Amino acid sequence: MLARVKNWVGAHWEVHSRRPFLTLLRVFAARVFHGGDASDGSMQVGLAIIVILLALPGTLVSLLLFEKYGSLVRWMRGDGSFDPFTASIPDEYFFVVLSMVVTGAAALWRWDALFLDRRDYTNIVPLPISLRRIFLANLGAILLLAGVLTIDVNAGSFVLFPVVVTGSQNSLSVFLRFGFGHAATVVLASAFSFLLIFAVIGLLMAILPYSAFRRVSMYVRFLLAVVLLAFLVTGFAVPSFLGQVTAGDKHLILALPPVWFIGICETLWGNGSNPLYAEMARCALSGLAVVLAVAVFSYALSFRRSFVRIPETAELGPLPRSQFRFLPTGGLDRVLLREPVQRACFHFVTRTLLRSEAHLQIASAFVAIGLVLGAQALVSGFGPHTRKVVAKAVTGVAPVPQPSEEWLSIPFILAFFTVVGVRLAFEVPSELRANWLFALWVDAEKTETRAVARKILFGFSLVPLLPLCLASSWVLWGPQIAALHTAIFAGCTIVLIELLLLRFRKIPFTCAYPPFQSQSALTFVAYFFGFVLFSVYLPEMELWSLADPWRALFFVPVIAIALIGAQQYRKQLLDVDKQLIFEETPASIF
Amino acid sequence: MLEARGLTKYYGSVLAVHPIDFTLEPGQVLGYLGPNGAGKSTTVKMLTGLLEPTRGEVLFNGQNIQQDLVGYRRHLGYVPEEANLYPYLTGYEYLELVGTLRGMEPARLRQKIELFLELFSLFPHQHISLSSYSKGMRQRILLISALMDNPDVLILDEPNSGLDVTTALILKNLIQALSAKGKTIFYCSHVLEVVEKVCSRLLILRKGQVIASGGTEEVRQRIGQASLENIFLQLVEERDVAQVANHIVEAVVS
Repeated sequence: MLARVKNWVGAHWEVHSRRPFLTLLRVFAARVFHGGDASDGSMQVGLAIIVILLALPGTLVSLLLFEKYGSLVRWMRGDGSFDPFTASIPDEYFFVVLSMVVTGAAALWRWDALFLDRRDYTNIVPLPISLRRIFLANLGAILLLAGVLTIDVNAGSFVLFPVVVTGSQNSLSVFLRFGFGHAATVVLASAFSFLLIFAVIGLLMAILPYSAFRRVSMYVRFLLAVVLLAFLVTGFAVPSFLGQVTAGDKHLILALPPVWFIGICETLWGNGSNPLYAEMARCALSGLAVVLAVAVFSYALSFRRSFVRIPETAELGPLPRSQFRFLPTGGLDRVLLREPVQRACFHFVTRTLLRSEAHLQIASAFVAIGLVLGAQALVSGFGPHTRKVVAKAVTGVAPVPQPSEEWLSIPFILAFFTVVGVRLAFEVPSELRANWLFALWVDAEKTETRAVARKILFGFSLVPLLPLCLASSWVLWGPQIAALHTAIFAGCTIVLIELLLLRFRKIPFTCAYPPFQSQSALTFVAYFFGFVLFSVYLPEMELWSLADPWRALFFVPVIAIALIGAQQYRKQLLDVDKQLIFEETPASIF
Repeated sequence: MLEARGLTKYYGSVLAVHPIDFTLEPGQVLGYLGPNGAGKSTTVKMLTGLLEPTRGEVLFNGQNIQQDLVGYRRHLGYVPEEANLYPYLTGYEYLELVGTLRGMEPARLRQKIELFLELFSLFPHQHISLSSYSKGMRQRILLISALMDNPDVLILDEPNSGLDVTTALILKNLIQALSAKGKTIFYCSHVLEVVEKVCSRLLILRKGQVIASGGTEEVRQRIGQASLENIFLQLVEERDVAQVANHIVEAVVS
């Protein structure tokens, strides 16, 4: 009997799955997941890894909360009995923010793959399939992606978070009520985030000509990434306000979309009678309905405006031609880039970085994180201690506001993320098949590529940040502290750049990935500790040294030792390890 | 003078190119022919120094190119089989990149780029990104990059690919004119008609092995065929092309 049903289902599935609409839906869904052409060596990640990576943050945060809600810990804190629905609000808010950020980041990552392009037009439109069917199949694929994303991103917390919070309650009904409320909240929050980004793309495509869309696309994505990261930062600050919202603050707090979704869980947990929560839930549902309507409408409009007219428009490249060619580079070439190979590589690398979408995205993502963390440091630096004045010993004359550790850390944070972002972008190949040019005309024995990479990292970090650092610290703390702070910041950034280029021996973007980066986890940990050291401990030490200008001399031997150490390390490398490479072999263990 | 002595390439245990020998004097154009997978591109990569031969050597003016690759490449102009370019660079920027890597002096480079862009009808498109170029325009960019530093040796791998009729005719005349100026030209192509017209010598390859070589007239007489197309079909193709075409038509209408 069972076998007969299985056969019947199998046969029907076989017939239906081969229908044109479902075939198209499958093709478009695969296209959205896998994206563009992998043959150019650009970054491609397997589906299983994507699924795991997306589910990881929610799962990890849930696991970390075991300690907080553990009955033993609560008992030790004298917190014997507690109401899980009230106590978990800050964490519920954090889950809302996390699911919005992860889903939004995934949607931003697939930005270009969501809408059909010239390749789809060329392959599918000449076939005997109506445009309506193509439209519906792609819309279906996008909504399918939205569904899969919302479930995947929150899969870990669906079960783990309710277990963590209600585990000590010994009540299945509490567990189910809590779990249902949490699941509905985070799923709706995820869906809102995805649809919001989908709506923004659709609106931009519907309003702007395709060339203008391409031009603003990168900036809009950058802005959206900053907004998402700002949401994440609110996850640490907003929960404490939620319990003390007054009528006057209500509009302020309701301006934050993640807050709306707390109304959903509170309503489902039985607190719907509270007017604030009811209003939050109303905002969430109406917000969701609006973004869904705008997304579908703008998608339909952009399909008519852009996709149907593809043959009438000229093919555009990865990014429109940059206006940077008008910058006077002759002087720069004569002074800093005298060697022809350095000059050629420098211009090639800067152009790639500023025009190749993949590389610009990587660098921008890091800069965005730096900006958000820098902004957070700026806000937290406004504490009462910054209002104090430093002793006259510093300036000898008028009292000057004391530099705070948070404010001193801002240029360090910005420089760290800019340098690391650009350095990581160097590793991502671009048009590998075109690198024969460098293989043919660059002498592999000469190690000029590190000098090029160094100049580019200086150009993207110190060149814009040094004047800003000097000017802002001059205004805030006077010339002496400004000079010292800028000098220490410059020295530390130079060391950071040298350390990141310790074994660098390729022309950025021209080297293939190793098949498997066995040390990537280790690299991640190293970068994390590097960030803590560079952006937390160094500003702490700097604050100590600024109290007495003589103490600042402490940095001189430290920086000198680091630079000489790096130079000595490179000197002892074998010649074969200094040669220019175009293909990286996996690092050997021994 | 470009010379190949026992040039052999193995990929693992697979023999891709059997020992190849030829000498190419200044002013000579060598037509290198063979079906897909015959080993033409592997030979070209060995001649440019992009691939090291398993055995044998390539000599330029009597010196093994591996001893001074950088020096050899200063004399080399190369058009690869496929026009893989950096799509986000403009035509001008790409040529500037190539010229600077070749060590051309900036003022001369600028002058040469503008002159060549004009001559190859690309001047109005010089500041448009290469991704917007047609296949033929990209091919012209590659031709300019090969020619602009006045190379002594030209290695052209399918240079006609995607060119329009006018540019293809210009290229045919250009090869003849460059050989008259004493340039050494290694010409790899499927366009037999052009090979027949411009090449003074032929080397025909099948499955990595040289099956015919010598002066164009000499090969013609030896094989006893009037046209290069017939020579090629007789030596290289194992199938009756008319019969295969008929089979395909039958498959189409079935």
